Amino acid sequence: MFAALAKYRQVFLIGLQSNIVYRWNFAVRGFFSLFHLAAVVILWSAAATGRGEIGGFSLNQTITYFVTLLVLQFFISAFNEDYQISEEIRNGLINQFLLKPINYFAYRFSIFVAARLVSGLLVILPLVVALPVIYQYLSYPSSVSGLLLGLPAMAMSALIQFSIAYCFGMLTFWFLEIQGFVILSMAIETVLGGQMFPLDLLPAWAYSIAKCLPFYYQMYFPAAIFTGRITEMSAILQGYAIQAVWVVVLLLINQALWTRGLRRHTAVGG
Amino acid sequence: MLHYAKIWLASARYSITRTLMFRGDFFVWALVELFWMSVNLFTISVIYDHTDGIAGWTKYQMILLVGTSLLIQRFLMGFFWSSIFEMGRNIRSGNFDFFLAQPGNIMFMATTRKLDPDSLVNSFIAAAVVVYAARQLGLDPGAGQIALYIFMVGCGVVIHYSVLVMSISVAFWLTSAQGIEGTYFTLMEFSRLPRKAFAGLVTQGLFVWLLPVVVVTNTPARLLFEGFDLGLAAWLFGAAVVWFAVAVFVFHRGLRRYASASS
Repeated sequence: MFAALAKYRQVFLIGLQSNIVYRWNFAVRGFFSLFHLAAVVILWSAAATGRGEIGGFSLNQTITYFVTLLVLQFFISAFNEDYQISEEIRNGLINQFLLKPINYFAYRFSIFVAARLVSGLLVILPLVVALPVIYQYLSYPSSVSGLLLGLPAMAMSALIQFSIAYCFGMLTFWFLEIQGFVILSMAIETVLGGQMFPLDLLPAWAYSIAKCLPFYYQMYFPAAIFTGRITEMSAILQGYAIQAVWVVVLLLINQALWTRGLRRHTAVGG
Repeated sequence: MLHYAKIWLASARYSITRTLMFRGDFFVWALVELFWMSVNLFTISVIYDHTDGIAGWTKYQMILLVGTSLLIQRFLMGFFWSSIFEMGRNIRSGNFDFFLAQPGNIMFMATTRKLDPDSLVNSFIAAAVVVYAARQLGLDPGAGQIALYIFMVGCGVVIHYSVLVMSISVAFWLTSAQGIEGTYFTLMEFSRLPRKAFAGLVTQGLFVWLLPVVVVTNTPARLLFEGFDLGLAAWLFGAAVVWFAVAVFVFHRGLRRYASASS
């Protein structure tokens, strides 16, 4: 058990090193995401003019939700993991894992955790620079319980994010080009993950459907707990349960795709 | 002029033939764009469930604005996007040599080589969104107004084209122009906002006047429901001419630095 952990600890450390090489890329990306934040502030401020609230939440609570989302993206989102996996399958680089006692999912996940740790810490830099401007919009709940309750949701969200990216990577066993599928799915994930608007703004019937889908737990669920949009303990516990079910379902799908995909794999190159 | 029209037609024919060879790809990418367009329209619809207006604009005025923005974006992506981004990669790899040996203006040859029929197909959908919003607003624009709208959309495409060519020309100096694609999509977010929403001096100066992504969409949209604004129209046309001239200048300056690359 410990030997296996040591193996993936090494992978994590190597992932950490190789991602620190790209520190400037992440930092620049973080700075550019401030432009997105500016567009968000302009749009939602204009929408709230005269009313002071949107869907029962103040303008500041809405902006706080989007700032939290931005930080979460850098900490738990899958950036290009799907393409990296796809590339390794296409180029035959996965062949080496077939001959070694290394679980490919655990290997890639260790690198993913390292990469997000680096990008997540680096996004703090542009946020600190923008803090004098965005500070006036921030409105977090005063108690720390939201923060503590949000962390398990955030960890499971990272697993869901990575698992979905891994699924798309696995599609390379069947399709040569996955970019179209990834961007198509990204459009769905962006809306149903709550990145365009907080999902509680959806009509009640659509919100109940969204709650059953994995996208809800990719980003919206932890962000809503952190920012006080979901406060009821029963709702949080129910969310944890559905999120855990999706984690298991996605892991099973991943395993099935890997096993089936390998049957088609011809191990060219490597 | 006729010579360039012939060259462009040959490129268009090549792009369409290529698309017909990869019909599955065409279908997937057309669907991708359709989905993203729907995402933008759906967001507007959800926001208007909770507000009466965005900077004084009604729901269908906003849809008309978003439709105009999508239309400009589709034309930009359909006619130039792939060629311009490929130009950046070619400058880095040295494959740009290929364009230097072609019988025509290098900027024209390099930026018009590939068409994306999937974006062009979706431009009909974007146009349909504009027509639908205009109908909902009870607008009945005359032929002159429609011609002016098309002209302004054209100016918008020229401005975006020029900004993109300039941004990618950075590759002549820095070798790499990676990351611009994503940044440009972020910039497009501003073009879907009403000008009056830009209250701050900095944001107004930066996105409305200096980098006219907001005026590019607001002017044609407002033309349809508020009538002709000579000042803004003249500014848009002037901006298109100036930005295009600057792009030609920067591109040719960069070209002087191009030293190919080893194989």
